[in-house]
Amino acid sequence: MKTFKSLSLLFLTGIIALNLSSCNDDDSPVVPITTEKADYSGVITNLSNNIIVTTYSDLKTNAEGLLTAVNVLQDSKTEANLTAARDAWVATRAPWESSEGFLFGPVDTDGIDPALDSWPVNRTDLQAVLDGNDELTKTFVNSLEGTLKGFHTIEFLLWGGDSNKTANQLTDRELNYLVSTTEVLADDASTLISAWQSSGGNFVSNLLTAGQDGNNVYKSQKAVLEELAAGILGIADEVGNGKINDPIEQQDVRLEESQFSNNSKTDFTNNIISIQNIYVGKRNDGLSKVIAESDANLDAQIKNEIQAAIDAIQAIPGTFTDAIPSSSDTHDEAQAAQESVRTLQTTLESKLVPLISNL
Amino acid sequence: MKNFLPLIITLVVFFSACKNDDSITDTVEPTPSIPDFVMAGGETTIFDITSNAFATPAPNLTPANFDKHLEGDLAFEQVFVTEPADVNPGLGPIFNNNSCVSCHIKNGRSRPSLDGNELSGFLIRLSISGLGEFGGPKGVPFLGTQLQNRSVFGVEKEATFTATEIEEIVSFVDGTQVTLHKPEYSITSSQYNIPTDIMISPRVAPAVFGLGLLEEIPEEDILNKVDENDVDGDGISGKANMVWNIKEETKTLGRFGWKAENPTALQQTADAYHQDMGITNSLFSEETCFEQEDCNHNGELDITDATLDITTFYFQTLAVPAVRNYENETFQKGRVLFEEINCSSCHTPKQQTGNSSIPSLSNQTFFPYTDLLLHDMGVGLADNRPSFEANGQEWRTPPLWGIGLMPVVNGHTRLLHDGRARNVTEAILWHGGEAEQAKESFKQLSREDREALLVFINSI
Repeated sequence: MKTFKSLSLLFLTGIIALNLSSCNDDDSPVVPITTEKADYSGVITNLSNNIIVTTYSDLKTNAEGLLTAVNVLQDSKTEANLTAARDAWVATRAPWESSEGFLFGPVDTDGIDPALDSWPVNRTDLQAVLDGNDELTKTFVNSLEGTLKGFHTIEFLLWGGDSNKTANQLTDRELNYLVSTTEVLADDASTLISAWQSSGGNFVSNLLTAGQDGNNVYKSQKAVLEELAAGILGIADEVGNGKINDPIEQQDVRLEESQFSNNSKTDFTNNIISIQNIYVGKRNDGLSKVIAESDANLDAQIKNEIQAAIDAIQAIPGTFTDAIPSSSDTHDEAQAAQESVRTLQTTLESKLVPLISNL
Repeated sequence: MKNFLPLIITLVVFFSACKNDDSITDTVEPTPSIPDFVMAGGETTIFDITSNAFATPAPNLTPANFDKHLEGDLAFEQVFVTEPADVNPGLGPIFNNNSCVSCHIKNGRSRPSLDGNELSGFLIRLSISGLGEFGGPKGVPFLGTQLQNRSVFGVEKEATFTATEIEEIVSFVDGTQVTLHKPEYSITSSQYNIPTDIMISPRVAPAVFGLGLLEEIPEEDILNKVDENDVDGDGISGKANMVWNIKEETKTLGRFGWKAENPTALQQTADAYHQDMGITNSLFSEETCFEQEDCNHNGELDITDATLDITTFYFQTLAVPAVRNYENETFQKGRVLFEEINCSSCHTPKQQTGNSSIPSLSNQTFFPYTDLLLHDMGVGLADNRPSFEANGQEWRTPPLWGIGLMPVVNGHTRLLHDGRARNVTEAILWHGGEAEQAKESFKQLSREDREALLVFINSI
């Protein structure tokens, strides 16, 4: 995130002078709304409910499925049960990766991102914990740093450091730890969706009521659109200039994020799908709707580049790990995928973000 | 040389024209009437009211410095783990958190914590009476000058802490009442003996944008405002903290930290790596646990000078968010009140930088609302823990810029060194000492005037 260039002066005349009264502790007083150029309620409501909240809801559901699978594995450590647990991990990883285009709000401010997705795994401490005598309860695991829980710790336990773990190699303490850390993951996923839902922390209302009295988070609907645009730009940047780039540029497979599961291509794809979800929406009711009104060519270009990036990532033969060494037969395809993501990133940065800022 | 000048001008004109022709963003609207104070960071200002308001590179960076900034961003987000490790080793053995960004979330402010068992962006500084090696706080035997309430597995953490809150009701002249909460912290479950004369100072993590500009205010500009004995009789003194500068091996003007304990952005960064994460570096090469058993110090530095430099560069070159609502009458009224009740005596609106080795920071007029000096803030806010020239009641004036963006950036509005204030009103009501008169004036304002003042403060 936040590695893109801001196009500051372009924003200026679009600034809307709003200052609203508060809920909670905030004491900012009410000031009359001066201007709101257009009504983007439809786009914001659709993306909030049908994409963001739905994605987090899927994350919770799939995390519960993962918990069931690791419990079954603990009861009977067969290869079939290990495979099922790995599949459940991949299924849970999907909504998480497709939420990375909107990493704002509770996932960030409540520390949920580091709890779910810290990287790297603290393998030294994890081994010490497994070798020790502490009772591996949920409470115990929850008290540890993010690098000892979340997706990558679970991934490490399910696949092993060399990606070749067999079911009978799983020790009792590894299985205990696996179950407890998955319980924590499921709780965190539950906390996250609850923080957004109206029945819980109701963060979603900050988007739905943007620009209205009482909303001190988003002082205009345009600010929400800018937040969404910055979010998809941020993940395009991270995939193109971080996740794919770091291992390739430094020729170091240890820098690959989902290296134990060989799930990186799927991770990257789901990241770009999160861009697609925010841009296209469920029924062409995402940011696309706003862009198409003023620049139909740009709208088509963005849609094409999103699909091209997804296709290029999928076109890497074999695993991403195998494509990292520059001597690899598949290295060119990995570089082509990176280029297509960077093309999309450049378009979002130089065209989408300025257009929204000038609304 | 001067023969080249027309050529350069021609090139510039040609280049600009070229750029205009190609521009994909030629929808820039004219912006002739923006008052200077709206550009809170001078040419480093951005117009952003999203959660990225504190996390965007300054727009005037050169391409090379822009790339350097992005590299620094990665270092700021780097998560450390226990050694040995393939990637990012060196955490601890004792620490408060495991990455820069985990305390400075979105580069903003952290919340206070009342429970020392939780991982948070909050920490406690410690000392006992007397002076440390370079005239700073004297560390507590074994524990040092900061409580590390976390540890890598197998190593005892130093201690934990708990807190209780005492309520105090304050009334405005118009009858409105506000309940203030004062946290009282205590150290618990320590494996070490806690001396009876221990002094503790709870701290939240401040926002990190704009620090490059603050660093480039010429020293004489800051010292010109010093009025230690209140010669001008306005009730406000202003004192410079003179603190140990590790690189220069002498005391120089302190600028960073709640008591201006660090002289440079680099030393501030090195100190945070060392104390907050247990990451040794060339400025602080000894592990924070050096007096303790199980310290396992291997003598190697955990990060290179290159990493230290690039992390420092990252926050030196962040953009500053622009002022909002400035055309609003309420804002303008609040701006006048800010001067009238003397907030601006310490929260100095305007500062200027001199020449900087980072071109983007050179000769900028900017609006941080701080004088970077120490002021006695009274008994209520005191931590009673001196640090160099700062006594137990003195605090450095914190900048106010961006304060109104905390809800969108960090999801809270907790203010002051220990985060005790729930909002700006409470923060003002905690002012005492040199700011007693300003606070009394605030309490006497009508509701309408108070709200105007808050609109202004939450918009700058």
